[in-house]
Amino acid sequence: MFELVKTHRDGTFSIEFPDHLVELVVGLASQLEAMLDDDRPELKRLFPTAYPDDPERDAGYQILARGELIEQRRVNVERVIESAGEGRVDEETVLSWMHVINDLRLVLGTLLDVSEDDHELDEDDPRAGGLELYHVLGVLLESIVGALRSGLPD
Amino acid sequence: MTESSPLEVLEPDVDIDERTDQDRPWIVLVWNDPINLMSYVSFIFQKVFGYSKTKADKLMMDVHEKGRAVVSSGSRTDAERDVHRLHGHGLWATLQQDD
Repeated sequence: MFELVKTHRDGTFSIEFPDHLVELVVGLASQLEAMLDDDRPELKRLFPTAYPDDPERDAGYQILARGELIEQRRVNVERVIESAGEGRVDEETVLSWMHVINDLRLVLGTLLDVSEDDHELDEDDPRAGGLELYHVLGVLLESIVGALRSGLPD
Repeated sequence: MTESSPLEVLEPDVDIDERTDQDRPWIVLVWNDPINLMSYVSFIFQKVFGYSKTKADKLMMDVHEKGRAVVSSGSRTDAERDVHRLHGHGLWATLQQDD
Protein backbone atom coordinates (compact mmCIF):
# COMPACT_ATOMS: atom_id res chain seq x y z
CA MET A 1 0.00 0.00 0.00
CA PHE A 2 1.13 3.53 -0.71
CA GLU A 3 2.69 4.91 2.44
CA LEU A 4 1.15 8.16 3.66
CA VAL A 5 3.75 8.57 6.39
CA LYS A 6 7.41 7.84 5.67
CA THR A 7 10.16 7.24 8.17
CA HIS A 8 13.68 8.49 7.55
CA ARG A 9 17.01 7.22 8.80
CA ASP A 10 17.64 10.37 10.83
CA GLY A 11 14.50 9.67 12.88
CA THR A 12 12.33 12.25 11.16
CA PHE A 13 9.09 11.60 9.32
CA SER A 14 7.30 12.90 6.24
CA ILE A 15 3.54 13.20 6.48
CA GLU A 16 2.45 12.86 2.86
CA PHE A 17 -1.29 13.21 3.15
CA PRO A 18 -3.03 14.70 0.11
CA ASP A 19 -3.38 18.49 0.53
CA HIS A 20 -7.14 18.41 0.91
CA LEU A 21 -6.85 15.92 3.77
CA VAL A 22 -4.23 18.06 5.51
CA GLU A 23 -6.67 20.99 5.25
CA LEU A 24 -9.47 18.79 6.51
CA VAL A 25 -7.55 17.68 9.60
CA VAL A 26 -6.36 21.23 10.34
CA GLY A 27 -9.91 22.59 9.96
CA LEU A 28 -11.45 19.94 12.20
CA ALA A 29 -8.63 20.30 14.73
CA SER A 30 -9.35 24.04 15.03
CA GLN A 31 -13.03 23.27 15.61
CA LEU A 32 -12.07 20.75 18.27
CA GLU A 33 -9.81 23.25 20.01
CA ALA A 34 -12.62 25.82 20.09
CA MET A 35 -14.90 23.47 22.03
CA LEU A 36 -12.43 21.78 24.38
CA ASP A 37 -13.52 23.89 27.34
CA ASP A 38 -17.20 23.16 26.81
CA ASP A 39 -19.07 20.41 28.59
CA ARG A 40 -20.47 18.68 25.49
CA PRO A 41 -21.73 15.10 25.33
CA GLU A 42 -19.76 14.38 22.14
CA LEU A 43 -16.53 15.08 24.06
CA LYS A 44 -17.24 12.45 26.71
CA ARG A 45 -14.72 9.99 25.25
CA LEU A 46 -11.95 12.57 25.64
CA PHE A 47 -12.56 12.77 29.39
CA PRO A 48 -13.54 9.29 30.58
CA THR A 49 -14.62 8.29 34.06
CA ALA A 50 -11.71 6.95 36.11
CA TYR A 51 -13.67 5.54 39.07
CA PRO A 52 -16.99 4.21 37.68
CA ASP A 53 -18.06 2.85 41.09
CA ASP A 54 -17.02 5.85 43.15
CA PRO A 55 -18.52 9.16 41.99
CA GLU A 56 -16.87 11.10 44.81
CA ARG A 57 -13.37 9.93 43.95
CA ASP A 58 -14.08 10.40 40.28
CA ALA A 59 -15.11 14.00 40.86
CA GLY A 60 -11.75 14.54 42.57
CA TYR A 61 -9.94 12.92 39.67
CA GLN A 62 -11.81 15.02 37.11
CA ILE A 63 -10.90 18.25 38.90
CA LEU A 64 -7.20 17.36 38.73
CA ALA A 65 -7.10 15.60 35.36
CA ARG A 66 -9.47 17.49 33.09
CA GLY A 67 -7.48 20.71 32.89
CA GLU A 68 -4.32 18.82 32.06
CA LEU A 69 -6.08 16.68 29.43
CA ILE A 70 -7.47 19.84 27.81
CA GLU A 71 -4.04 21.48 27.82
CA GLN A 72 -2.35 18.42 26.26
CA ARG A 73 -4.95 18.44 23.49
CA ARG A 74 -4.53 22.14 22.89
CA VAL A 75 -0.76 21.70 22.53
CA ASN A 76 -1.31 18.87 20.03
CA VAL A 77 -3.75 20.93 17.96
CA GLU A 78 -1.34 23.88 17.89
CA ARG A 79 1.50 21.63 16.79
CA VAL A 80 -0.62 20.18 13.98
CA ILE A 81 -1.63 23.62 12.73
CA GLU A 82 1.97 24.88 12.84
CA SER A 83 3.46 21.85 11.09
CA ALA A 84 0.83 21.40 8.37
CA GLY A 85 2.53 21.19 4.99
CA GLU A 86 6.07 20.93 6.42
CA GLY A 87 8.39 18.53 4.60
CA ARG A 88 10.03 16.74 7.49
CA VAL A 89 8.82 16.62 11.07
CA ASP A 90 10.11 15.12 14.31
CA GLU A 91 8.53 12.26 16.21
CA GLU A 92 6.85 14.58 18.71
CA THR A 93 5.03 16.29 15.87
CA VAL A 94 3.92 12.98 14.35
CA LEU A 95 2.59 11.97 17.77
CA SER A 96 0.58 15.19 17.89
CA TRP A 97 -0.95 14.40 14.49
CA MET A 98 -1.75 10.92 15.76
CA HIS A 99 -3.44 12.24 18.90
CA VAL A 100 -5.41 14.92 17.13
CA ILE A 101 -6.69 12.50 14.49
CA ASN A 102 -7.58 9.96 17.17
CA ASP A 103 -9.40 12.64 19.18
CA LEU A 104 -11.34 13.64 16.05
CA ARG A 105 -12.32 10.01 15.50
CA LEU A 106 -13.45 9.73 19.12
CA VAL A 107 -15.66 12.81 18.79
CA LEU A 108 -17.00 11.88 15.36
CA GLY A 109 -17.53 8.25 16.37
CA THR A 110 -19.47 9.41 19.43
CA LEU A 111 -21.60 11.81 17.34
CA LEU A 112 -22.33 9.06 14.80
CA ASP A 113 -22.79 6.45 17.52
CA VAL A 114 -20.62 4.02 15.55
CA SER A 115 -20.57 0.31 16.29
CA GLU A 116 -18.05 -2.37 15.37
CA ASP A 117 -20.32 -3.30 12.45
CA ASP A 118 -19.80 0.04 10.74
CA HIS A 119 -16.86 -1.21 8.66
CA GLU A 120 -18.82 -1.39 5.43
CA LEU A 121 -20.06 1.88 4.01
CA ASP A 122 -23.76 1.83 3.19
CA GLU A 123 -24.86 4.63 0.86
CA ASP A 124 -28.40 4.50 2.21
CA ASP A 125 -27.24 5.11 5.77
CA PRO A 126 -28.13 8.72 6.69
CA ARG A 127 -24.75 8.86 8.43
CA ALA A 128 -22.92 7.92 5.20
CA GLY A 129 -21.13 11.28 4.83
CA GLY A 130 -19.97 11.32 8.43
CA LEU A 131 -18.96 7.68 8.33
CA GLU A 132 -16.88 8.24 5.22
CA LEU A 133 -15.00 11.02 6.99
CA TYR A 134 -14.62 8.76 10.01
CA HIS A 135 -13.09 6.03 7.86
CA VAL A 136 -10.77 8.46 6.08
CA LEU A 137 -9.47 9.60 9.47
CA GLY A 138 -8.99 5.92 10.32
CA VAL A 139 -6.79 5.41 7.25
CA LEU A 140 -4.66 8.45 8.18
CA LEU A 141 -4.35 7.24 11.76
CA GLU A 142 -3.41 3.73 10.68
CA SER A 143 -0.64 5.12 8.47
CA ILE A 144 0.82 7.17 11.33
CA VAL A 145 0.68 4.27 13.80
CA GLY A 146 2.32 2.00 11.23
CA ALA A 147 5.19 4.43 10.77
CA LEU A 148 5.70 4.97 14.52
CA ARG A 149 5.52 1.26 15.30
CA SER A 150 8.08 0.38 12.65
CA GLY A 151 10.70 2.09 14.82
CA LEU A 152 9.90 0.03 17.92
CA PRO A 153 11.43 -3.37 18.75
CA ASP A 154 9.21 -6.46 18.57
CA MET B 1 -11.95 27.69 75.94
CA THR B 2 -11.51 24.01 75.54
CA GLU B 3 -8.44 22.04 76.29
CA SER B 4 -8.29 19.37 73.65
CA SER B 5 -6.18 16.34 74.12
CA PRO B 6 -3.71 16.05 71.25
CA LEU B 7 -3.13 12.43 72.14
CA GLU B 8 -6.72 11.65 71.31
CA VAL B 9 -6.47 13.34 67.95
CA LEU B 10 -3.27 11.59 67.02
CA GLU B 11 -4.48 8.16 68.04
CA PRO B 12 -4.44 6.16 64.81
CA ASP B 13 -7.88 4.92 63.98
CA VAL B 14 -6.98 2.02 61.74
CA ASP B 15 -8.25 -1.45 62.38
CA ILE B 16 -6.96 -4.62 60.83
CA ASP B 17 -9.66 -4.79 58.18
CA GLU B 18 -8.83 -1.35 56.89
CA ARG B 19 -5.15 -2.10 56.74
CA THR B 20 -5.83 -5.25 54.72
CA ASP B 21 -8.08 -3.23 52.47
CA GLN B 22 -5.36 -0.69 51.85
CA ASP B 23 -2.89 -3.42 50.96
CA ARG B 24 -4.99 -4.78 48.13
CA PRO B 25 -3.46 -3.54 44.88
CA TRP B 26 -5.28 -1.32 42.43
CA ILE B 27 -5.73 -2.51 38.88
CA VAL B 28 -6.01 -0.50 35.68
CA LEU B 29 -8.60 -1.79 33.23
CA VAL B 30 -8.90 -0.85 29.58
CA TRP B 31 -12.34 -1.42 28.09
CA ASN B 32 -13.29 -2.37 24.56
CA ASP B 33 -14.82 0.40 22.49
CA PRO B 34 -15.95 0.45 18.87
CA ILE B 35 -13.90 3.52 17.92
CA ASN B 36 -10.23 3.03 18.75
CA LEU B 37 -8.22 1.14 16.13
CA MET B 38 -6.62 -2.11 17.25
CA SER B 39 -3.17 -1.09 16.01
CA TYR B 40 -3.51 2.23 17.83
CA VAL B 41 -4.47 0.61 21.16
CA SER B 42 -1.57 -1.81 20.92
CA PHE B 43 0.89 0.97 20.08
CA ILE B 44 -0.29 3.00 23.08
CA PHE B 45 0.35 0.00 25.38
CA GLN B 46 3.89 -0.18 23.99
CA LYS B 47 4.41 3.53 24.36
CA VAL B 48 2.87 4.11 27.80
CA PHE B 49 4.09 0.94 29.53
CA GLY B 50 7.14 0.02 27.46
CA TYR B 51 5.61 -3.40 26.77
CA SER B 52 6.94 -5.54 23.92
CA LYS B 53 4.91 -5.65 20.72
CA THR B 54 3.94 -9.24 21.55
CA LYS B 55 2.67 -8.35 25.02
CA ALA B 56 0.92 -5.20 23.80
CA ASP B 57 -0.80 -7.12 21.00
CA LYS B 58 -1.96 -9.81 23.43
CA LEU B 59 -3.43 -7.24 25.84
CA MET B 60 -5.12 -5.47 22.94
CA MET B 61 -6.66 -8.76 21.76
CA ASP B 62 -7.88 -9.44 25.32
CA VAL B 63 -9.57 -6.04 25.34
CA HIS B 64 -11.09 -6.72 21.94
CA GLU B 65 -12.29 -10.27 22.61
CA LYS B 66 -13.06 -10.26 26.33
CA GLY B 67 -14.27 -6.69 26.54
CA ARG B 68 -11.56 -5.55 28.92
CA ALA B 69 -8.07 -6.32 30.17
CA VAL B 70 -5.94 -5.49 33.20
CA VAL B 71 -3.01 -3.54 31.79
CA SER B 72 -1.18 -2.55 34.98
CA SER B 73 -1.48 -2.66 38.77
CA GLY B 74 0.05 -1.12 41.85
CA SER B 75 -0.72 1.52 44.46
CA ARG B 76 -3.72 3.76 43.90
CA THR B 77 -1.38 6.64 43.04
CA ASP B 78 0.41 4.56 40.40
CA ALA B 79 -2.84 3.22 38.97
CA GLU B 80 -4.41 6.67 38.81
CA ARG B 81 -1.33 8.02 37.06
CA ASP B 82 -1.55 5.22 34.47
CA VAL B 83 -5.26 5.89 33.94
CA HIS B 84 -4.53 9.57 33.47
CA ARG B 85 -1.88 8.78 30.83
CA LEU B 86 -4.23 6.40 29.03
CA HIS B 87 -6.96 9.06 29.06
CA GLY B 88 -4.46 11.45 27.50
CA HIS B 89 -4.16 8.92 24.67
CA GLY B 90 -7.92 8.59 24.29
CA LEU B 91 -8.25 5.10 25.75
CA TRP B 92 -11.18 4.11 27.90
CA ALA B 93 -9.39 3.22 31.15
CA THR B 94 -10.65 2.89 34.71
CA LEU B 95 -9.11 1.84 38.03
CA GLN B 96 -10.44 -0.24 40.88
CA GLN B 97 -9.16 -2.19 43.83
CA ASP B 98 -8.45 -5.80 42.99
CA ASP B 99 -11.05 -8.30 44.30
